[in-house]
Amino acid sequence: MSIHFQNLCFTYFEDRKDVLSGLNAVFDRETVTVLTGASGCGKSTLLYLAAGVYPHGAGVLRQGSVSVEGQDPGSLPPPERCRLVGMMFQNPELQFCMDTVKNELVFCLENICADPAEMEGRIDEALAFCGISHLTDRTLASLSGGERQKAMLACLTALDPQWLLLDEPFANIDDASARAIAARLKTLHKTRGTGILAVDHRLEIWLDVADEVRVMDGGALLPEVMAVSQLDPAKLEALGVIVPGRSYRPQLPPPQTGAPVLALEDLSVVHQGTPILNHVSAQFLRGRIYAIVGQSGCGKSTLFGALSGLYPYTGHAWLEGRELRRLRKKGLGKAGFVTQNPQDQFVGGTVRQEILASLRQDPKAMETSEAILRNIRLWRYRDISPYLLSQGQQRRLGVAALMAYDCHILVCDEPTYAQDRHNTLAVMDALCRQARERNAALVFSTHDRQLARDYADEIWELKEGTLHAYAESGG
Amino acid sequence: MRTLNPAVKFVTLLAVTLILAGKHDPILNFAVFLLSMAAILSAQVKPRTLGLLLLPILLAAAGMFFTGYRFHAGGSMPVRAEILNIGSSALWNGLTQASRVLAYAGAGYLFALTTDRVRMICSFQRQFHLPQVFAYGLLAAWGIFPQMTREYRRTRAAFRARGIRVFPISPALLKPLLVKSVRWSEALAIAMESKGFSGQAKRTDFAPIRVQPRDWLFLLLTVGCTAAAAVLL
Repeated sequence: MSIHFQNLCFTYFEDRKDVLSGLNAVFDRETVTVLTGASGCGKSTLLYLAAGVYPHGAGVLRQGSVSVEGQDPGSLPPPERCRLVGMMFQNPELQFCMDTVKNELVFCLENICADPAEMEGRIDEALAFCGISHLTDRTLASLSGGERQKAMLACLTALDPQWLLLDEPFANIDDASARAIAARLKTLHKTRGTGILAVDHRLEIWLDVADEVRVMDGGALLPEVMAVSQLDPAKLEALGVIVPGRSYRPQLPPPQTGAPVLALEDLSVVHQGTPILNHVSAQFLRGRIYAIVGQSGCGKSTLFGALSGLYPYTGHAWLEGRELRRLRKKGLGKAGFVTQNPQDQFVGGTVRQEILASLRQDPKAMETSEAILRNIRLWRYRDISPYLLSQGQQRRLGVAALMAYDCHILVCDEPTYAQDRHNTLAVMDALCRQARERNAALVFSTHDRQLARDYADEIWELKEGTLHAYAESGG
Repeated sequence: MRTLNPAVKFVTLLAVTLILAGKHDPILNFAVFLLSMAAILSAQVKPRTLGLLLLPILLAAAGMFFTGYRFHAGGSMPVRAEILNIGSSALWNGLTQASRVLAYAGAGYLFALTTDRVRMICSFQRQFHLPQVFAYGLLAAWGIFPQMTREYRRTRAAFRARGIRVFPISPALLKPLLVKSVRWSEALAIAMESKGFSGQAKRTDFAPIRVQPRDWLFLLLTVGCTAAAAVLL
């Protein structure tokens, strides 16, 4: 009744060093375990091996074995494997093959050769269990991240595997949806005896669900087994884990409030016939840091998308007195947009070109770009594609490329999305420090309220399509 | 129209277009076009949607009309009317060419606008024995198409936000999309497999799409009437 990893050595490329080196571990089905550790420590790789996705999907298993309930998951055909292990992924957008929630559930049940006469009942049951019966006929494309993860959980509930493997399932959804899903996971574990092994570097949501926390570091599993009631915050923090309730302790210079840089006036956005933002009015001053929080699907990304030109809006967005949508080439550098996925903002073929794209007016562009890249520790990667960098490196590059402009405001959509504590600190420190030093306004959205409290001078909540002052933090 | 078997509908409309291909008669072409439009509107397709879709077709039809009108068999072309058996009137030739565009577009839109894509793939899989890897691969690709257009807009916005002007199909814009689509396809394949999908394994069918008597009736009536009209006109 366990997942057993024995002397596991795994690498993605033959000529690179092992991601997992001689790893031994046993995870018991009776115990809900959260596996945590810094980005790149090999925890997701371990999960994919347990799910049978690797090594036949990618990588090389140099030695060792994986067994789930006494079976090698990689050797089973998918219809049998999915009854043994089910997997929930980090990105809620890339888990579905059909168009509607119901059709996706039908697809799952057809795969395992379920009796067609029983399908309707099983689908209704799975949807009711996840509290999304009202979404049955909705298209998956129209669902929010949280709703999609619930739909994914409904698929897994219908498939009823012996083990559930979860790869940062709450990374991109709001706390309320995450807690709802976590509660359902706990019920599944209790009522059906489903084993749960999750990978996450945010433990907050797991505190009510998990029994123990294990930490991975540098491709190995540390021997300590921490009960969730007796976590060692200092140790976890040192290993890059985001510990609930622990301040990020930013060391920022005090704000020097300047003139208004961005003013929103009755800004409204209608997307596919549905009003997402209704008459949003707000003013952002230079030198201050603003956090925007809100439920998943409340319109945070829509607001940022409207400002960056992705969605049309009505009303006004004034950037230093000029309408944002009318700004031509010259004015655009004054507002920098950091996207949720750093890959969305790359315009250069190499790391250096990415910085050079921002320095077209600078006669000493080559020297300046070298200084910037050395400063963000990416100089040695200057000639490779930005897409080949790790996620943390991509984020650093993205921010540095925008800061190379004379930005008066930085607008960042979830800049710490799916980052561990080290990267979260590095990204936020870099953003906030740069903003303070240049006396620029910084507006960022986040699901992490602790992060908002620690870094922002003002917190706004996007609720029912409008911005409300949420709280004033100490700044 | 929406409840007809998609595979039969496809064969029927294909047969109609093949009959039209062998006949040069604007009356028949216009009749097929008008009947297609009536069938589309009766299937609750919004007239505005249809109107917008017809705009490029009408433009193409107008172009073909003037081409046919100018270069008819009796004109300055190095061919003679007797050889190609085309009516000698320039107007008639122009109308024939224009109406062909409309008839083909009408049949195509009739299929596209009145067929649910999931039903179509399931029907093709059952009636044409389309391999399931191909069928579900197509559905998954369809699923990420809206995401691709969203990503394309996002990438354009990123370029614009950094003051870089790019053409709509610039390689600089398409490269990020290409990189992402490779990753998406990998992630989708893993997700499909983790839900038990295999290209080879046997599956059950929740709502099998069968060929009903009315589907046969639609096929026989439509093809029969078109063939009869083609012979008589």
